Amino acid sequence: MPETQHPIFSSYQKDNRFYDEIFDQEGNVKEMYKTLFDLYSGHSVQDFAKLNDKAKASFFNQGITFQVYGEQEIKEKIFPFDLFPRIIAPEEWEHIERGVLQRSKALNLFLWDLYHDKKIIKQGIVPLDLISSSVNFLDQMNGIDPPGGIYNHISGTDLIKHSDGNYYVLEDNIRCPSGVSYVICNRTALKRALFGVFNHYQAHTVTDYGENLLQILESVKPNGVDEPNCVVITPGVYNSAYYEHSYLAKSMGVELVEGRDIFVEHDFVYMKTISGPQKVDVIYRRIDDLFLDPLEFKPDSSLGVPGLFSAYKKGNVCLVNAPGTGVADDKAIYTYMPEIIKYYLDEEPILNNVHTYHCSRPDELKYVLENIDKLVIKPVDEAGGYGISIGNKLTKEEIEKVKVTIQAHPRKYIAQPIMSLSVHATYIEETNSFEPRHVDLRTFTLLGKDKEFVLKGGLTRVALQRGNLIVNSSQGGGSKDTWVLK
Amino acid sequence: MDYTIHYKAQNIYKQPVRSAYWQFLIIPENNDSQTLEKAVFTNSLGVPVQQSVNGYGFETFRVAPKTTFKTINFEAKFRVFKEIFNPFEQLNYRDSSIDRELLRSLQFKVTHERFLKSTPTTELPLVRALPFKFDEESSLFDNLKTLNAWIFNTFKFKSQVTQINTNLSEILEHKHGVCQDFTHLFCAMARKNGIPTRYVSGYLHQGIGYLGDSQMHAWAESFVPGTGWVGFDPTNNLLAAENHIKVAHGKDYADCPPIKGVVYTTGGNTTTYKVLVTSAKDTMSQGQNSDGSMQQQMGTMTQHMEFQDLFPKNGPKDQ
Amino acid sequence: MLARVANNLFWMGRYIERAEHIARYLNVNYFSSLDAPNEQSQSRQLVLRSMLCMADDTVPENVELNEEEVLYDIALNTDKSFSIINCVKIARENANSARDLISTELYESINKFYHYVLNYDVDYFKNKGLYDFTVNVTEFTAILRGKIRGTLLHDKVYAIIMLGINIERSTQIVRIIHAKFLDAKKAKGNGEQFKQSSEWTTLLKCVESYDMNRRHYRQPPTKLTTLEFLILNPFCPRSVMNSINQVANHINTLSTDKYPAKDSAAYLIGKTQAEYKFKSIESIEGEVADFIEEMLDCLWLMAQKIEKEYFNY
Repeated sequence: MPETQHPIFSSYQKDNRFYDEIFDQEGNVKEMYKTLFDLYSGHSVQDFAKLNDKAKASFFNQGITFQVYGEQEIKEKIFPFDLFPRIIAPEEWEHIERGVLQRSKALNLFLWDLYHDKKIIKQGIVPLDLISSSVNFLDQMNGIDPPGGIYNHISGTDLIKHSDGNYYVLEDNIRCPSGVSYVICNRTALKRALFGVFNHYQAHTVTDYGENLLQILESVKPNGVDEPNCVVITPGVYNSAYYEHSYLAKSMGVELVEGRDIFVEHDFVYMKTISGPQKVDVIYRRIDDLFLDPLEFKPDSSLGVPGLFSAYKKGNVCLVNAPGTGVADDKAIYTYMPEIIKYYLDEEPILNNVHTYHCSRPDELKYVLENIDKLVIKPVDEAGGYGISIGNKLTKEEIEKVKVTIQAHPRKYIAQPIMSLSVHATYIEETNSFEPRHVDLRTFTLLGKDKEFVLKGGLTRVALQRGNLIVNSSQGGGSKDTWVLK
Repeated sequence: MDYTIHYKAQNIYKQPVRSAYWQFLIIPENNDSQTLEKAVFTNSLGVPVQQSVNGYGFETFRVAPKTTFKTINFEAKFRVFKEIFNPFEQLNYRDSSIDRELLRSLQFKVTHERFLKSTPTTELPLVRALPFKFDEESSLFDNLKTLNAWIFNTFKFKSQVTQINTNLSEILEHKHGVCQDFTHLFCAMARKNGIPTRYVSGYLHQGIGYLGDSQMHAWAESFVPGTGWVGFDPTNNLLAAENHIKVAHGKDYADCPPIKGVVYTTGGNTTTYKVLVTSAKDTMSQGQNSDGSMQQQMGTMTQHMEFQDLFPKNGPKDQ
Repeated sequence: MLARVANNLFWMGRYIERAEHIARYLNVNYFSSLDAPNEQSQSRQLVLRSMLCMADDTVPENVELNEEEVLYDIALNTDKSFSIINCVKIARENANSARDLISTELYESINKFYHYVLNYDVDYFKNKGLYDFTVNVTEFTAILRGKIRGTLLHDKVYAIIMLGINIERSTQIVRIIHAKFLDAKKAKGNGEQFKQSSEWTTLLKCVESYDMNRRHYRQPPTKLTTLEFLILNPFCPRSVMNSINQVANHINTLSTDKYPAKDSAAYLIGKTQAEYKFKSIESIEGEVADFIEEMLDCLWLMAQKIEKEYFNY
């Protein structure tokens, strides 16, 4: 009997247009998933419904929730967690790890160059327009040498597996990439719910992230500081990622501060404690650039700390990630990544880039306008999956609307071929069974002074709606525990 | 020439201020033509003054009172020595086609990227044709001089009709404004023609009746190839020379407002400024006065926030 | 530790404690009034007013109270700042902001508590749920106390939470004494009967001290023994004396001064502790009302001083 006939997999409809992570073309379970598949098939539908409810309750009770914008009331929601883990083979992971590390290093060198000599632009490899028209390029960062020479200490790289079975990078996130706390929570939740399955696989741990992050933070301490005092700064309890901020502070054993807990005096940074001011040396900031310092950036920001930037400029405090990194994770810069990697590292890119059409270039704009139904249109400077149009999902009227928008602001949009994200068996509550759903993978890379680290695992995000290609958590996506095998 | 600059400001708040943090960008810079000999800055609360360099590299004073108050006075005194020089002397006359060639080179554009891009207040309206055209035949410097004169002759100095963030299409339409507006316009037109140009904030010695409004004066500096940065004062149709005492420069006003701050209080406030520039030669001193009603004009960036509202309800979006 | 976070921990402790006292007061008063030995004590209006006064300082006189409304307001009405649900909400919000400092176990329990209260069926509560709800609230707070003691390092974080808990506890005990004192007066006038009133038993039960009291005195509670026990007995874990002893203990974790300054929190706490140690119940008995007012002022001042010295941000 075909393996998809197990009751729990009975509604699993294979679609050969997509790369299936679990089943091969003939519908047989891939070798790597066999043991897992057998273990899961042994459960009844009712067992699974129960396990699923328990996992949900566990997240809720632990307060592992995020808040959703855009509704009248801010709602507390759990990030849906899927009980079927994703497995990545050792050799496949080795490739990913080398690839994301290469990208992070190249981006770091690129940022140093952009804020110093700008050689890559002077040599005409990256157009000047991309930085002079970027809102994320901070003039104030010109000439500043960040401690350790590091800009993007923390990078989140989003990868997908296309129907050709290859990984492609969708985007680099080097401002405040979030999600790492869910990686660890997912592991904990899966262990609680289905501890038995772990005996059959040898997966790398993910709980060492906190200690590695702390080492990275300490490695970029200001000159003359022996034992740096590191803190995490958050916009506050109402921020959608507050859980993650508190998780990171806790796992590193450092203080979680808000802007109002910190002040700057004579270019040194202090936090207000119960026993008076205490100097702060390294700040992992989860506040956007423009909110960091009302004296230097957005003057009406109450999230930041007046005078913080001067303290940074003077080298008395290190900000992680450095201000102004956003210029390099712009989706328009993304399209130059192969050239950027070659220019700074003299290497071929290890991971593929998705081909990109720049609407700012007249001939490419023409192609985009004529082929919208085959393309994904993305704004270059929006985060969180907002503002994306997928060509083959649009009505005729909608296509016309998109065309008008692009033509009005061609610089603001890029287009890419519709990539078919791989699918993975995902537990669907409505049908009480496993169905294929699209997934991507966010990896986390750390760069410090003489230290680098890639978290062995990552956040596999799932688009829970059938056919949906956008897997962002703020758009109703879920996630899976991700095992990197030893 | 020896100048004494006397800067005074008074802030009165309707409700007690629990916490505040100000930055003053009012210290004359040291450069080739001017030397800061003495700087004293005090305040009525006796709060220790911190001196710090801002994000663009300029010296600032900072004051952060730790007690509750309703009124605070600030007072600064500077002594500056300024070289008397003829700005025309430094000019290097040469075939202007070399200069134009240079402006077009990528190297040059990248090096001067910051002062070539437009900002919200130096953005020229797209719809209308440029009201002033550069003459390809004459030198860049001559063109800038003509631009300076054109602005002076076309626009009327009129205070209290524009705001610090008034955009250029409004200025072009109504043909009036103050020094900040004229400087923004000058920057925009020069940049449009590929000449790196920066907004300068400083003091003007009004000894012989020059126009100036608000607490600080504004003019522009353009990068003339072969010569370097040259100051143009479109408000007075002058080249900046010994009467112009520079404090700071930036892309536009927003990069160098004289006072910036965060103030936590619930009510409104009134602010008064007075700047007095005197030279040893002046028989009678003249002041530039302003009062609270002109607060917008003077560009105070002081913010008022409800103390209760410190919890941000909508933080920035996460990636 | 951050001053702001310390402040939040302090208030977290206070609100957890407050929720417990309100819930128990509701429970004991309501159920003991059902079969009270005299008519006055059985009066619905008297009981409802007593409960409302305990939760909220501002209850208008001469207004007919509606039982359902009063119970709902005190327990689950989010529009009433004094309600149990709001106490739990605030406690959880405070815990949220100090999440990195408290244990996962403690946070999880607070969070569970919050979801329990938040999801409690209002209609069920109004008709049948009073006993179930109030008992569960007190059980949850007991769990929280256990988690606080058992899953946190006994360092400054712990000391601050315990300061909040003990200051709130003594405040609530004094308030409960006050409320029941008035009830007993109303019920029995001023004579011998007042001294033997059943309200003293209710009072002891409201603070879970009836059994302890019986064991200590081996006779039915009277006005004198009840007050002595709840105010001055250092071995009764609910007594004012016991709370102040604990406050004094925990302030020493924060303040390292051997000879604290005269205007400091540590000084005031030490002084109050010494005064109570050598007080006799006879000196209080005659002027209970004055004593209560003085005591509340003193506790308020302690909290003020602690906040000013340690939580100023």
